[in-house]
Amino acid sequence: MKVGTMKPLALAASLASATMLAAAPAHAETLTVWSGFPEMAPFYERVAEALKQDYPDLEVNVEAIALREHEKRIALGLTSGAGGVKVIELAGSTAQRYIENDLLPPVPDDLADFVTDPENFGEFFVESASDDGTVYGVPLFRGQGALFYNVDMLEAAGLDGPPATMAEYTDYAEKLTQRDDNGNPTVSGWSLRLSGGGQGIAEKFWINLFQFGGDLLEQTDDGKWRAAYANEAGRQALKQYLQNVHTLNTVSEQMPADAEAFQREQTAMFIRESWVIGDTAAKAPDLNYATAPLPEGSIALAVNLYVSDADSEAAWAFTREANEPEHLVWMLENVGWLPNRANVDYSPVTEAIPQFSAFVDYPADYEFFTLPAIGPIEEILTRFAAQLTRAFGDASLAEDDAAIDAYLAAAAEETNRILEREGLLAQ
Amino acid sequence: MLRWKRWRFAMLAILPTLAIFAWVRMYPIVETLRLSLHQWDILSKNKPFIGLQNFRELFQDQLFLEALINTSAIAFGVLFITIPTALVISALIYHRTRSRFAGFYETTVFIPHIVSLVPAAMAWKWIFDANLGPLNGLLQSVGLPAQPWLFDPVLSVIAIIILCSWQALGYAVLIYLVGFKNLPVSLFEAAKLDGAGGIARFWYISVPMLKPITLYVSVVTLISAFNVYAQAFVLASDSQGAPGRQVRVLVLDMLENAFRNYRIGYAAAEAVILLAIVLLLTLVQFGLLREKGRR
Repeated sequence: MKVGTMKPLALAASLASATMLAAAPAHAETLTVWSGFPEMAPFYERVAEALKQDYPDLEVNVEAIALREHEKRIALGLTSGAGGVKVIELAGSTAQRYIENDLLPPVPDDLADFVTDPENFGEFFVESASDDGTVYGVPLFRGQGALFYNVDMLEAAGLDGPPATMAEYTDYAEKLTQRDDNGNPTVSGWSLRLSGGGQGIAEKFWINLFQFGGDLLEQTDDGKWRAAYANEAGRQALKQYLQNVHTLNTVSEQMPADAEAFQREQTAMFIRESWVIGDTAAKAPDLNYATAPLPEGSIALAVNLYVSDADSEAAWAFTREANEPEHLVWMLENVGWLPNRANVDYSPVTEAIPQFSAFVDYPADYEFFTLPAIGPIEEILTRFAAQLTRAFGDASLAEDDAAIDAYLAAAAEETNRILEREGLLAQ
Repeated sequence: MLRWKRWRFAMLAILPTLAIFAWVRMYPIVETLRLSLHQWDILSKNKPFIGLQNFRELFQDQLFLEALINTSAIAFGVLFITIPTALVISALIYHRTRSRFAGFYETTVFIPHIVSLVPAAMAWKWIFDANLGPLNGLLQSVGLPAQPWLFDPVLSVIAIIILCSWQALGYAVLIYLVGFKNLPVSLFEAAKLDGAGGIARFWYISVPMLKPITLYVSVVTLISAFNVYAQAFVLASDSQGAPGRQVRVLVLDMLENAFRNYRIGYAAAEAVILLAIVLLLTLVQFGLLREKGRR
């Protein structure tokens, strides 16, 4: 080929390259959203789609996996500097370690103003997303518990309305349990979390403990912590589990449990978060069920969005877009998690789906508790869960208060040892 | 001079492989040993040296001791089931070598070894299910009571032993078959002429002559069984905490300590103990099974 013919070709190639560069997106970026709740994936995809108006070339990958695996992924991913910008969904208590080690950056000023505006979020949610007055996360939703009960089963058992006290919970469980000819339960009266792995067992126990006026940990004036369950409230909570399993036989380890069992009418009632409403609408739309507030109060586990790269404008925009009213209402209606933002009209959903009432209309003196934002909270819960699993399997404890007390004292000692090791034990 | 050149060439040729081996195999082991003497939460830049504190704490940790006992029970259970069963099955298959079904037998036994572990464990979870599982159905059909396979502390360990043995068997049979095919036929013919029956030939000729194979298979099986994790995880896991007792095994405990409790040094100490146990047991096996003439 002659040089003379090469020149126009080179010019054309240069022009083509220049045109392609000029057409290159101003915000060409890839975001990865890490979520610990698979049911949240459609929500994040919806947010990503809406964000395309401002960031037409933004590519968003939503990776929603089971919560425990998600937590491991964060521990490995953030510390090893996994490539790419991440929007990370995380409970405020779990994020604390990462914030303390400068692995999660604070939000930009304009977003901090949005978060701290009392019109948008209550103090509880602002605190859960902050450390030492600096905002690190953007609040999104919360896990809040309530009683789910099968209306038909209650009616069939002659029960008028849901239980209102913990003593009634046991009475109801007894009356609602369906048995075969040998007296073995076939449908549990009250599904309790008795087995499995991870800290869920301890969290569920904590919810029941709270109804008896107890707490898993208590903070002292010096800002430190100690175990607070080796007492009367702890004994009552554990005894209630043991009596239901071993004495009254209203539930057993082997029986199907949790939301799946509820949706299949294999249990009459159980305590869970609001996501069950969205899940049930999809899996058992004809189930006749209702919800009720718990006797004293509920756990409220605030989940926030964090960003791995402080300089990623698109990532922060994603966290802000996720809090747009239209998305939050969609999340409540279709996923079931309770949005944290205050100044949004959720009534079209809460009025159309009466099961949300227990989560939004609760007594004035209803109390909330949450996991303390301390480093070893996961270890404390996981180890306490292992202790509880052993206790639940020990029939000899059921009618022996002294043995229950000794068991709880040993477990509390372990909790306090962990706190002491971390320099967090109250004197 | 020529010898030096040859040596240098050999070293240069082997160096890249050695470097890769050192990087991907030796460095992690050395780093694990080093981490076991430090306190590190994976997030912090500080890793204070704490000597043997992690090890001291481990031996007072009920969860670790439970994991150690469970893992040892599973490993030896798998070993004691797999080795004799594999030996007998491979002898039977070898005996039927000329059968047109020989390939079918080998494939059938080997398939569990190549099946992906998680779906296999899920299938076994269904088999062991207390209410719907076919195993309890079978027990009840012969008048035996149904068992809580995945809930009872002892039965749940047995369930994992059964699952692991089922998976390990295929590989062991395959290796034994290779061993059988290499045994001198003349010995069996001579024994036959002397009037030895099939069982006697198996017991007095095959078993002793397959000692090196038994050594290899038992070492591989034991090491693999000590690293049990996914089986225990799948048999107890469910997104909604559905029934299933979490059988605590060492690798699971290690992962929990490392990535849930943020105690990398502590988990590294567990890994060091696991390494020491496996090394010790391998040495014992070598001592017991190595042919005396080669000592």
